[in-house]
Amino acid sequence: MSAVEPSVRPLLRVDALVKHFAIRRGVFGRTSGRVHAVDGVSFDVEAGETLALVGESGCGKSTTGRLVLRLLEPTSGTVEFEGRNLASLDETALRDLRGAMSVIFQDPYASLNPRMTVGQTLEEPLALHGLAQGRRRERVREILKLVGLAPEHARRYPHEFSGGQRQRVGIARALAVEPRLVVCDEPVSALDVSIQAQVVNLLRDLQSRLGLAYIFIAHDLAVVKFLATRVAVMYLGQIVEFAGKEALFAAPRHPYTHALLSAIPIPDPARHRGRVILEGDIPDPAAPPSGCRFRTRCPHARALCSQETPPLAADDGHAVACHFWREIAPPAPLPGTAHTPRNARLEALQAAFRASSA
Amino acid sequence: MTALLEVRDLRTTFATDDGDFAAVDGVSFSVDEGRTLGLVGESGCGKSVTSLSIMGLVPQPPARVEGEVLFDGCDLLRMPAAGLRELRGNRLSMIFQEPMTSLNPAFTVGEQINEAILRHRKTSRADAKALAIAMLERVRIPSPAQRYDDYPHRLSGGMRQRVMIAMALALSPRLLIADEPTTALDVTIQAQILELMRRLREDMGTAIVLITHDLGVIAEVADDVAVMYAGRIVERAPVAALFSEPQHPYTIGLLGSIPQLHVQQARLAAIEGQVPTARAQVTGCRFHPRCPFAVDRCREASPPLADVAARHAVACWRAPLPWQ
Repeated sequence: MSAVEPSVRPLLRVDALVKHFAIRRGVFGRTSGRVHAVDGVSFDVEAGETLALVGESGCGKSTTGRLVLRLLEPTSGTVEFEGRNLASLDETALRDLRGAMSVIFQDPYASLNPRMTVGQTLEEPLALHGLAQGRRRERVREILKLVGLAPEHARRYPHEFSGGQRQRVGIARALAVEPRLVVCDEPVSALDVSIQAQVVNLLRDLQSRLGLAYIFIAHDLAVVKFLATRVAVMYLGQIVEFAGKEALFAAPRHPYTHALLSAIPIPDPARHRGRVILEGDIPDPAAPPSGCRFRTRCPHARALCSQETPPLAADDGHAVACHFWREIAPPAPLPGTAHTPRNARLEALQAAFRASSA
Repeated sequence: MTALLEVRDLRTTFATDDGDFAAVDGVSFSVDEGRTLGLVGESGCGKSVTSLSIMGLVPQPPARVEGEVLFDGCDLLRMPAAGLRELRGNRLSMIFQEPMTSLNPAFTVGEQINEAILRHRKTSRADAKALAIAMLERVRIPSPAQRYDDYPHRLSGGMRQRVMIAMALALSPRLLIADEPTTALDVTIQAQILELMRRLREDMGTAIVLITHDLGVIAEVADDVAVMYAGRIVERAPVAALFSEPQHPYTIGLLGSIPQLHVQQARLAAIEGQVPTARAQVTGCRFHPRCPFAVDRCREASPPLADVAARHAVACWRAPLPWQ
């Protein structure tokens, strides 16, 4: 991962972001409640790093991504990109900024216009950002090559591509205007495993080549471990744990992170382990539990947890929102590399695939 | 041990504008009593069509299903429709990926489980209800007596999948076909459902055919695994052997494609290219365009599924692959 240069000002600063959606009922659309989609989320993103937002459905990770891009208006809180508050910008300034921030969506089928060729799709953002017509073709060729497609793909329509290729087109569109920050919203979840690996490798290569910063929104912790620099774990609209990747995976502190990590099926039958299996489902975000929102599913919950909301408190750069994290031992240690006999044969054979894809 | 289910040379063909397309092309496997077979592969490999063909749920025409599917010695493909209906939901059950679309929104959960019970058992409504509630309790649905009267939309995704499992297992089937049962669920809910399936299998001795794209899920619950690619089984092995000694290049590539929590990886061993489409006629081994080990023979002739060790078969001309 590219080294993060120490700077006074981060690329992106998100402060106390809140987004409530009104639930409207009846003919007159009376507001009958509010879904607390994002409830006080703060983080920084440095140039060239990958910040992963992880959590399960309804945790607010995608909404956070949309708020950062200002595709949604926050209820309160601020988003600053390179020191400029997004809320204070007018349309023109915002459009200029959109060139510096772009997005890759989960579903490459739904996010491409079926009536436009790939070339037209890629030229559109270039035209919006005032690139002369003659240069656009050239840039489209460049960008297609960058994502591993051929120049002649520009004349084709989205339906002529496979899922993996369509996601490459989605990435090409995001990179066309040379952004500095890309919000990747579950970019590989809809793809097959072998294709997912191609796209993950591509995202990583592009980052080191172009110095991009990513906000990587995902539910798959294994992919996150592969790509992230830092990780924020979200639950019901709030960050419950925030740490550097190594620290988070080696010594998770929040009971929810423990459960999330131990719930992932490990593709190795020789490595069965003790599990934390959570009871119940994620509560209704329109009526989140009092105090700590995780307490209704937490195996360690005590009286204090329902009375007081634990703050997200940092200790040596590893922040956790839990009253009792010091007393809670992580379950079975995550299977480490130390006692894993390496499978030399398998590694040698897989190297053939790496060689053919390099 | 005798095989509960034996599939022999199953071939499901669909007529397309470009001629016949065999979505399942000569698949053979067997499942013993009480064992779990994992059928793994990516989109379009034919794993779901295989399961639908076994259950007699592929409409013919337009499709054509050939081969033999022996369940307890009877060939399901040659069984009259009435006989199949008698079997399905009774001794042979299935659960699907999307629990919302497989439950009827207009009936309560209880009515739907009862329907399955009363269809196959001569029992009173009261007894059926008692059994349904007992099943809901068994799949660990909280306050089952109340949930019995709920409509499906009132339940979360994980709860709905539990209801599907309760319904599928209400009559103690001997074989359960589970098609991506946890794919639509969050990981913590997936862990609950997998744990539940494991326990129910131990209690009831039900054999399971588990269809999934997720090798992690396979490693957790399967006893034996069949890997499918483009309509064929390319490798078949006990689960431990498949993960420690995979023989087919596709299996090896697939294992290298998964980012792993416990291993540091600089780069994933992605398989280049993509799965052949229905239109692309690949001669020889169907994996050869993506295979770094392919030689001339792979382009010319299709390799048969041949044994390399006890209960371990692979369809590759180059097996065992040289690596040192």
